[in-house]
Amino acid sequence: MNKLFQHRILRSLTLAAALLCCAASAALAMHGSVAVPGVAGSDFSFTARAGHITTGDGNNVYFWGYANADGAVQYPGPTLIVNQNAVVTIRLVSRLPEATSLIVPGFSVSASGGQPGLLTREAPPDGVTAVTYTFTADRPGTFTYYSGTHSDLQVEMGLLGAIVIRPANFDAADPLLRTAYGDARSAYDQEYLYLLSEMDLETHILAEKGLFSEIDTTKFWPVYWFINGRTAPDTMLADEVSWLPHQPYGAMTMMNAGERVLLRMVGGGRDMHPFHTHGNNFDQIARDGWLLATPGDTGTRTAEVGVIPDKSVSDFTLTVVPGATHDAIFTWTGRGLGWDFYGHADADPATLAPNECPGGLLDPLCDHGKPFPVILPGQQEVAFGAFYSGSPFLGAAGSLPPGEGGNNPNSGFAYMWHSHNEKEMTNNDIFPGGLMTMAIVEAPSAPVVVAP
Amino acid sequence: MSILQKRWMSLAVGLLVAAVALPAQAGVFPQCPTRDPAPGSPVVYGSWFSDVNGDGMLRAGDGEIINPVSPAQVCVHLAAGDGFTNMADGREQYIFGFVNATGFNAPAMNEPWDAVMMGYMEKAQFPAPTLTFREGDEVYLSLTNVGMINRPDLFDPHSVHWHGFPNAAAIFDGVPDASIVINMGSTLTYYYKVVEAGTFMYHCHVEATEHMQMGMLGNLYVSPAQDGTTFGPFSRFAYNDGDGSTGYDVAYPLQIASFDPVFHEKHIGVQPLPFADMDDKYPMLNGRGYPDTVNPALALPYEHGGSSPIPALISATSGQKILLRVSSLSTTSFHTLTVQGIPMQVIGKGSRKLGLPGDASQYYTTGSITLGGGQSMDVLLDTTGIQPGTYFLYTTNLDHLANEADDFGGMMTEIRIQ
Repeated sequence: MNKLFQHRILRSLTLAAALLCCAASAALAMHGSVAVPGVAGSDFSFTARAGHITTGDGNNVYFWGYANADGAVQYPGPTLIVNQNAVVTIRLVSRLPEATSLIVPGFSVSASGGQPGLLTREAPPDGVTAVTYTFTADRPGTFTYYSGTHSDLQVEMGLLGAIVIRPANFDAADPLLRTAYGDARSAYDQEYLYLLSEMDLETHILAEKGLFSEIDTTKFWPVYWFINGRTAPDTMLADEVSWLPHQPYGAMTMMNAGERVLLRMVGGGRDMHPFHTHGNNFDQIARDGWLLATPGDTGTRTAEVGVIPDKSVSDFTLTVVPGATHDAIFTWTGRGLGWDFYGHADADPATLAPNECPGGLLDPLCDHGKPFPVILPGQQEVAFGAFYSGSPFLGAAGSLPPGEGGNNPNSGFAYMWHSHNEKEMTNNDIFPGGLMTMAIVEAPSAPVVVAP
Repeated sequence: MSILQKRWMSLAVGLLVAAVALPAQAGVFPQCPTRDPAPGSPVVYGSWFSDVNGDGMLRAGDGEIINPVSPAQVCVHLAAGDGFTNMADGREQYIFGFVNATGFNAPAMNEPWDAVMMGYMEKAQFPAPTLTFREGDEVYLSLTNVGMINRPDLFDPHSVHWHGFPNAAAIFDGVPDASIVINMGSTLTYYYKVVEAGTFMYHCHVEATEHMQMGMLGNLYVSPAQDGTTFGPFSRFAYNDGDGSTGYDVAYPLQIASFDPVFHEKHIGVQPLPFADMDDKYPMLNGRGYPDTVNPALALPYEHGGSSPIPALISATSGQKILLRVSSLSTTSFHTLTVQGIPMQVIGKGSRKLGLPGDASQYYTTGSITLGGGQSMDVLLDTTGIQPGTYFLYTTNLDHLANEADDFGGMMTEIRIQ
């Protein structure tokens, strides 16, 4: 994946740099903000049908998914980006071998058309008869939807997705109104979705052969684990790469030091996954679309940067629960490391990087000009990572042996974000892979992303 | 920022990188930097000293480092390699692991540093040596890869990942994809300025699924700066709580881990490793299955010295507060732990106190806690009014109360109240 990845990233960065040279003025407004990709609107037309996804070990796995309008069937289903108070309608037909449906936990959904079902009305497998679901998106947050029919099989097969509801006062261009829940407690600079799921390959093989009577979902034994429908290393590719037509969503996470990053985590399968963020703790601020806040709290709790709800919980590994959603704010400042991670040779205040020492040079957490503390081993004594810049300093590239590094063109600090039930970092018996992606903290001078 | 400013900055960074670039080390080279107090003296990186008090670390505050670069300096030398350990049913398991080599003071022994390779080969321990630091410490942790003598076909690097270290730098995070990891026969020194107290853990992150299943896991926790002050009857605390609400009398680290014997046997047999079929049959606390967990001896009656030197027996006198620093480095599953007869008060999670200092309102009392791999929780057991006797701490994942085929074992230990 290295060459492809490098190529795409470099191209997008070139584009970003071109845009920025013409648009940016203030230093801290240099970079844009990433938004979760998906389909925006309030009227959606889904077809449930079969397709094949690609896994990191080179396998093609038969799956069932949702396609929106004329789009490709995809895993996970389209991420719906909806405005608060919108009346949302989802029309669904089934081209699967069986009837199917769609439920949206957390909302009062009315269903019409189709045929009666246990949890809700269903679309019969005739490819024509539609069932229509309607609900009012009466509160903002992160939500999920999935099949309410034969769910033990259909969710396993891939009929699941995420919903992001933007607060009524949302404005992506205004840092004060770019929030998950409407106020400063959930304000963010970058936004990413992590929909975690898994697959039991045997079930998918039997389904592809039509041997439904042989499928026993009680013998569930997953061998693939996904973020946003991709296994590592594909998780680190850009959104909508042409060679993954049924897996449009990536999970490569990029930020600048000191930014607030909103993590929208969704449990999409049937197992819990302990999702570990290298680099720093996060503050979990919401569960299932409800802020972890005392009524009346307006942001009385200070986070590393900004404010968070008063009942937020800090952690370094989050239990992502099936059917649940969890929102968290992640920030990496690098403060207090004990050495100047920008590599400044002395404490001259003129060389301070933006936001390097917000508490001033006398702040105990300010490391401006402090030397690197150890001698690193020689090049022949270490193995190099593809995300290593060759230098311990942020934004600085060092020399690397031929063929090493290359995935980190701006020389950011790279961190692995992954399931800490480490078995889940494999693709059907092959390590590495699975439920893993990388996060990169970029130097202030580096463009992070194309502005929306 | 103007283009000129940006250029100036990149030039500055470039020059500074060149300025701090030091001669590369070679071979086994643990670093405990020193500097003569005379003005202008250079830092000497290759110093080493004797572990006088035998606590597995050199500590400037204990007078073990002459001319330290910081009064809070701590130096540790770990070796990473392979070895064997035994399960509670006596079964031998091939392991990868760490062993504490801090006591090997090569200069004082007139030995070359490369002697560490022979001295610590095949000495891996499971779990890894417990690392305990204090808030404010400046830790120089040197890791020497002594190789896997039983798998001469392997050339695996190793690393130390301090799991949960706040605002970690990629260079010292131990992730092979993100920085550098150390090859056999050489040493990498990690530096951590410890700014936060809490219950962390550490493990090797190279080929993480394999090296962690093989046993490269250990307890790591940091005591708070508040220790030594007094709140009521307490002078030791889990966190800087500001009100004594995390105070305790006795503390025990408890680390969940589990082995799949098939994986370990395929490994020593040089066979393809069963990742997809990984299914742990030896659930353990601190590297022991019950009843080994309650054996107070550091050395178990098995053939190999790699058997866990960390008992999991919890002892206290009635009325005392027990702090359990619970962490999980299971590579396969979530585990729920319960304590029969003593309420569990959860006061911290993920190396952070629940709620702000001075606010105990977010603590909660429960009968069980659930942890997946890479999670930690701090639990207080208040034994006030608890009758003397033996209380069991065990997993309610009842199939994990076994040492493979032997029932009445596995992830269980005893709390003995006197």
